[in-house]
Amino acid sequence: MRALTFSSRNIKELLRDPLSYIFCLGMPILMLIVMTIVNQSIPESPALPAGVPIPEDTVMTPTVFQIQKLTPAMAVFGMTFVMLFACMRVSSDRSGAFLTRLYASPMKGSDYIMGYILPFGLVALVQSVITYVAGDIIALATGKEAFNVLNMIISLPLLLPSIFMFIGFGILFGVLFGEKAAPGVCSAVITVASLLGGMWMDLDQMGGVLLGICDKLPFYHSIKAARLALTGDFSEMWISLLICTAYAAVIFGISVFAFAKKMQSDKK
Amino acid sequence: MKTIIKLSGITKKFGTKTAVKDLDLEIYEGEIFGLLGVNGAGKTTTIRMLTGLSAVTSGEAEVMGFSVKTDLQEIKKITNISTQETAVAGNLTVRENLEFIAKIYGLSKEQTEKNIADIFKTLELGEVEKQKAKTLSGGWQRRLSIAMGLITEPKMIFLDEPTLGLDVIARRELWKIITALKGRVTVILTTHYLDEVEALCDRIAIMAKGQVKALGTAPELKKLAGKEKLEDAFVEIVGGAVE
Repeated sequence: MRALTFSSRNIKELLRDPLSYIFCLGMPILMLIVMTIVNQSIPESPALPAGVPIPEDTVMTPTVFQIQKLTPAMAVFGMTFVMLFACMRVSSDRSGAFLTRLYASPMKGSDYIMGYILPFGLVALVQSVITYVAGDIIALATGKEAFNVLNMIISLPLLLPSIFMFIGFGILFGVLFGEKAAPGVCSAVITVASLLGGMWMDLDQMGGVLLGICDKLPFYHSIKAARLALTGDFSEMWISLLICTAYAAVIFGISVFAFAKKMQSDKK
Repeated sequence: MKTIIKLSGITKKFGTKTAVKDLDLEIYEGEIFGLLGVNGAGKTTTIRMLTGLSAVTSGEAEVMGFSVKTDLQEIKKITNISTQETAVAGNLTVRENLEFIAKIYGLSKEQTEKNIADIFKTLELGEVEKQKAKTLSGGWQRRLSIAMGLITEPKMIFLDEPTLGLDVIARRELWKIITALKGRVTVILTTHYLDEVEALCDRIAIMAKGQVKALGTAPELKKLAGKEKLEDAFVEIVGGAVE
């Protein structure tokens, strides 16, 4: 009950901040539109019959900006901003006297953790739904194939590991860094996640050392699992989803541990 | 008089530094008790130990018979605090801040409504009921912060420098609110302002270097130091300790 009360306060704080709409909702949808325009400006690769080798001088159209691949990536992009706001909430609560007041109340450690996870998790999920619906509308508006509704419904809960992972990052950075440093650290992670996750470039097509590095990080798998789920390639998706889930469990565990330790040290 | 807080030789150490040393003190039910001292005297640390915000290094402290070492959760249910810094949720309205704290302490909806109505009446917060806390002036925020401490109907409330940074008018208004609590709620007040303790407190403990140097009513302290003004008495009592 106390966790729900704390969640309610956190969601009100988030929803009453106009910046949260601009970043969490506005940015993914804006990028969906911008990248769709970019994609339409790129000439399409020549269609070659199956089995015919691609000539060396052929310029291949990047596939990452195709709406079916772009939309899941933008949903993950939106999660990185939820991470930023979770981080700012925790660091702001810690830097002021508000958490001190709550430490003196009957609230327990688990109430704080749940109180931070629930609202940001809910916002991330709603934001993903809106991004998917926006992507589907853009697909129809640009004459592309509409999303498979069943795949879309199935893929949304499959985003949960990524959501937990980014909220975990947010809580962790909010605990480790002060109110001024925390947003900067999150911005760096947003940049790394978008580049090494393959939001803006086809890492599989590029291959090499870069793909090797990205393959070891969670962001690439987070986006890959989301893309494969939306296109219905579930058999291919599981490995990436498992890697992403494992990262989410570890990062989330570390963030809970760090919060509990910080709570204890604040009380010393 | 019934003892509500009993400190028996409590000590708080931060590494090698001793913030509170072997403190013995009894606070009675319904009184406004002032903890007076210079910066670093141990006032806030004492309050932090009594509210579970800091662990006691040694000694024993009891609040209404509950030990701060073993029964902290019980103590938290019957006490509340207004910290030095204003502790309000900025994007929540005045009413929502009060409802939030009431729910955290497990008050029913009916009790919350009743208490909010009482608080709006006594603290005159009704006029800013729907205003977001961050848009209030410093004085009103402090008033809300104290209201959040009172909404749970605590047996005792800790007010840590409640008038710090407020203008004269806002200070006097808060004095009225604190005075109105006398007899109903035990108030433990820390402050730097001597006129404040003299106007508000039934008894005063003067702290220096983590210890109580003198304890009594304002006239008793003045008599003890052989001074006419409390400020002179304070300097006399603390003077040796801060040199």
